[in-house]
Amino acid sequence: MTRQLRHKLLRRLQFKESWVIFFVVGFIMMNFPFLHIFNKPGTIFGYPFMFLYFYLGWAVSIFIIYLFTLAVGNPTATKSPENKQP
Amino acid sequence: MNSGFVHAAIISALYTVLIFLIAWYAHRRKEIGRSIVGNPYVYSLSIAVYCTSWTFYGSVGKAATTGLDFLMIYVGPSLTAFSWFFLLRRIVQISKENNITSIADFISLRYGKSLWLGALVTLISTLGIMPYIALQIKAVSTSFYLISGFRANSIHIPHGGGELSVPTGLLLALILSVFSIIFGARRLASSERHEGLIAAVAFESLVKLVSLLGVGIFVTYYLFDGFDDIFTRFHAVRPELFERLFTFGGASNDPGYIPSFTMLFMSMAAIMLLPRQFHVMVIENSDEKHITKAMWLFPAYLFLINLFVMPIALGGILTTGNSTGADFFVINVPLLSGHGTIALLAFLGGVSAAAGMVMVESVAISTMLLNNIFMPVIVRFHPQPWFPYLLINLKRLGIFLVIFLGYFYYRIVGDSYMLVNMGLISFSAACQFLPAMLGGLYWRRGNKTGAITGILFGFLTWAYTLLLPSFSKSGWLGVELLTKGPFGIGLLKPTELFGLSNMDLWSHSLFWSMLFNVGAYIFCSILLRQDEPEREQVRRFIGSYEQERAYHPAETKRLSKPVTIGQFVNLMAKFIGEADAHHAISSHLGGREMDADGNVPEFELPNLKRFTEKTLAGSVGAAAAGAIVDSFLSDMGSRMESVYDIFSSVRTSLDQSREALYVRLKASEIINRTLDLQIIMDDLLNLLLKEFKLDVAFIQLRNGNGTLTVKSYQGSNRRPMAPQHWFMESAPYWDMALLDRKPHFVNDTSQIGGAVNLEQTLGEGIVSCAYLPIFREGEPSLGVLSVFSKSITGIFTEEFISLLCSLAGQLAQAVTIVREMEAKERERNEKELALLKNARVTRDMEIAQQIQISLLPDAAPETFGIDLAGRCISAAHVGGDYYDFFKRDDHTIDLLIADVSGHSVGAALIMAEVRTLLRAQVNSAHSASAILQILNSQLYDDLTRSELFITMFYAKYNSATGRLSFANAGHNRPMISRDGEYSCVELDAEGLILGVKTSVIFEERSFELKTGDVLLFYTDGLTEARNERDELFGTGRVCSLLGTLRQLPAREIIDAFYAAVREFTASETFQDDISLVVLKIL
Repeated sequence: MTRQLRHKLLRRLQFKESWVIFFVVGFIMMNFPFLHIFNKPGTIFGYPFMFLYFYLGWAVSIFIIYLFTLAVGNPTATKSPENKQP
Repeated sequence: MNSGFVHAAIISALYTVLIFLIAWYAHRRKEIGRSIVGNPYVYSLSIAVYCTSWTFYGSVGKAATTGLDFLMIYVGPSLTAFSWFFLLRRIVQISKENNITSIADFISLRYGKSLWLGALVTLISTLGIMPYIALQIKAVSTSFYLISGFRANSIHIPHGGGELSVPTGLLLALILSVFSIIFGARRLASSERHEGLIAAVAFESLVKLVSLLGVGIFVTYYLFDGFDDIFTRFHAVRPELFERLFTFGGASNDPGYIPSFTMLFMSMAAIMLLPRQFHVMVIENSDEKHITKAMWLFPAYLFLINLFVMPIALGGILTTGNSTGADFFVINVPLLSGHGTIALLAFLGGVSAAAGMVMVESVAISTMLLNNIFMPVIVRFHPQPWFPYLLINLKRLGIFLVIFLGYFYYRIVGDSYMLVNMGLISFSAACQFLPAMLGGLYWRRGNKTGAITGILFGFLTWAYTLLLPSFSKSGWLGVELLTKGPFGIGLLKPTELFGLSNMDLWSHSLFWSMLFNVGAYIFCSILLRQDEPEREQVRRFIGSYEQERAYHPAETKRLSKPVTIGQFVNLMAKFIGEADAHHAISSHLGGREMDADGNVPEFELPNLKRFTEKTLAGSVGAAAAGAIVDSFLSDMGSRMESVYDIFSSVRTSLDQSREALYVRLKASEIINRTLDLQIIMDDLLNLLLKEFKLDVAFIQLRNGNGTLTVKSYQGSNRRPMAPQHWFMESAPYWDMALLDRKPHFVNDTSQIGGAVNLEQTLGEGIVSCAYLPIFREGEPSLGVLSVFSKSITGIFTEEFISLLCSLAGQLAQAVTIVREMEAKERERNEKELALLKNARVTRDMEIAQQIQISLLPDAAPETFGIDLAGRCISAAHVGGDYYDFFKRDDHTIDLLIADVSGHSVGAALIMAEVRTLLRAQVNSAHSASAILQILNSQLYDDLTRSELFITMFYAKYNSATGRLSFANAGHNRPMISRDGEYSCVELDAEGLILGVKTSVIFEERSFELKTGDVLLFYTDGLTEARNERDELFGTGRVCSLLGTLRQLPAREIIDAFYAAVREFTASETFQDDISLVVLKIL
């Protein structure tokens, strides 16, 4: 079950469209109005909102790229007929 | 000079030596083929050259003054990394295919190898990077003062009587220049990777990361008690500042404030477009696969290096009390807390960050300067052997130039800007390449004019709104320009262009420069057309990636005059040196087709030209390489010209134009319509003349003895075929075509060398001709198809020749089929004829047989007292057996039996002759022996001539006396069966076979016959008949059979004998003629 899910996820990540979508989403997240949501004074456990938003978001985005690269290097997923990557 | 200075100087020197060693080791490893640089980790670390001393010192400075927005500079590249999978990989692929050396090269190549565009991009890069290099010099000089506690602006070195004063910045610039030259300009080939340089840069990236992390951990966990401790303590001490630093846009009135979007946009563009980033990411990329890993490794590096920036900034403010001098908190905080070692670590990190950036940047830009500014000038001169030395030294000069431009900017603008803000000026300049770059990769219509105007407008706006104010602000130009505008025109104020006020310096500049840049690019691209070189590049840049890589478009160019390989090699040697040129050409030509003279086929020449350009591009840049090769070709009297587009319409997916398919279809229709070769050939030639711009076409076929004869001639210049005909000049070509079964063609008859004389052909106005062998695979050629054009030079493209070849192949098929059919037809006729002839012979033989049978007596003459019968059955139509009866008088009858050797017609003729001769003797009173004697003498000559001979038994019977007198010429002895006697009597007389000797004496004997005696005369066919067991019928069997049959009438005895022989041999036909005569005495 989890393996099937992982396989499906990796396959989706191989599409060129997925890359573009994440790129655009990232760009939107780094601009207003998204920034505005966290653009508030105040802290959580002593950490400022904005600080957490940036660093956690950044770490998540790096992890997503890592998943992408896994998908690219995954031979089982590459063989799928839906694969449209060049 | 104090001890701190010496200390810092020694540490710096040792560190420099270490970097040298690493670079040297990497270079060594590359030489022996075991690179330590070719892996994704080193690649990612080398991309981290993005983090300069700006990151190292400036980020903390910015974090301490405006807060979290410093992060935008690093989040941007991290976002761009998402696009690397398609954007960077594509750029790398294109660059590798074309030996790209720099971003200027890349952009100019896309827009038709434009020299102007390359020069413009180089100019912008050189000027745009000035503040950036100045930033590095400023950062390192300042940090050096801090660490050494040395406050003067220059170092004083004792020199003779006085002291030599050298500014620290200048010294630093010098050291960096030497460093860069050693690592980056050892060799000329710029597309080659600099492993030493990359190893040094990667190591420096590691040092700066470790160093900043070290300082961060020291501040966060040693001076303070973790992140939350710093945050809570800072919040408690400076709540209003805390709020400002951790929110955006709260201080738009602050002059240093930059909207997050502007920074994000600029940093996203800069990571791809800064010359040094392009250099490490594209030029120094050793394997495309490394990009995938770098996509997350590089953002992770950025993440780590920025992790402690905020704590250091806050800690610095807490320690020093305010944010002035925040740019150097990284060194100052450890120093102030009395930890010199940590400070030294930080200093080394800063030096690493600065040195790496300056080295790569200066190498990248000096390459651009050489290829795009110096080369276009050098190209105008005739290539000289010392060019390679000139070029490499120009490159070294370029490095000095770049670094010292930065140094001068530092001296002028120096302290009036914060580090980050200086860097952003450079980022903004790099952004000017963005429209041309993205448009070049994804927009087919983007053209050269658009790119040049766009970049030029963007650059001018940038210089006016950003560079000029920076000079002005430092007091170098005067402040009036900023406050009042040029000539007092308020609308043209550099910082408030066209009245756009209330905008920060960077957003303002970015907005206007991008507006003009993108606007001009799109406007010109839509308004104006691309020229041919541009269109070719568009196909490569955009087409190559989207379509299959294996697809090779048909050649659309040809060289008007062939150039040899040697000439190309000489040209290359003048720019890259003899050894490299030979190495390059041999690796290119390996496994390629070459003719006997060491030349490539004509269709390969454009490829060779492109290869030469590509190889030169690796050293001098694409634009210059194009110019070099073009001027070389024009010196040779050759040029690239468009191939005549014989198939004008759109190509189908099969790489076959519709016309070619149509012609093939038509041709096979012609061939299949009829079996008349003449019609096929005429129609085929007319089709060629009609569909293509050909003027004469003819087909020659080999005849039986191998000589060519014209079978069909279509088109103009028709005249009687004669050895003086103009086309006879082409004989060497069709001989070659016949021999090697390959097409031969001349695309420009006026350019033909002395080998073949085509004077008359030229006189007829023929400009190009082709000779195609007509042959089937694996078989000798049948003939030659020759076509001539009077109007188009270069009509014979690879595609056209292959079409003609395939038509010739189809024709060969038709010729073979027709010839085979003809041969079959001929064979059948011959067979029929032979059959007919055979039938005639048979009929003749039948007639002969009839005649021969009629020559034998059909019934015995009626003679009193005897029962006589005779019969002959031939094995073939005619035979040599003969028997006859002559009635002399009422009581006397002559009977004879003879056998001419063989069963041939000759034997039959001799038999007829014998009969004639005998008949002449009928009325004579000769005895049997006398008759034989006469016969022998008469027949001797004929028999000897025909190599035949005759056996004969001649008998005379007188019924009155009952006496049988006889003579024998070697014939089988007749048998007499007498009543009451078991055995038979054999009649014998001495005598030689007729035809052996001229005169022979035959013995005459006589025998008394009694009533009831039965005589059997026979030929050897009877006794020598064989059965399946190879037994002879034999005389014994004849005698006993005669004994049992003797009561029957003579005719029935004969029939019974024949039946017995048939039974014995178990065959209806006889092996030899059998003649039987039975005489029964009644």
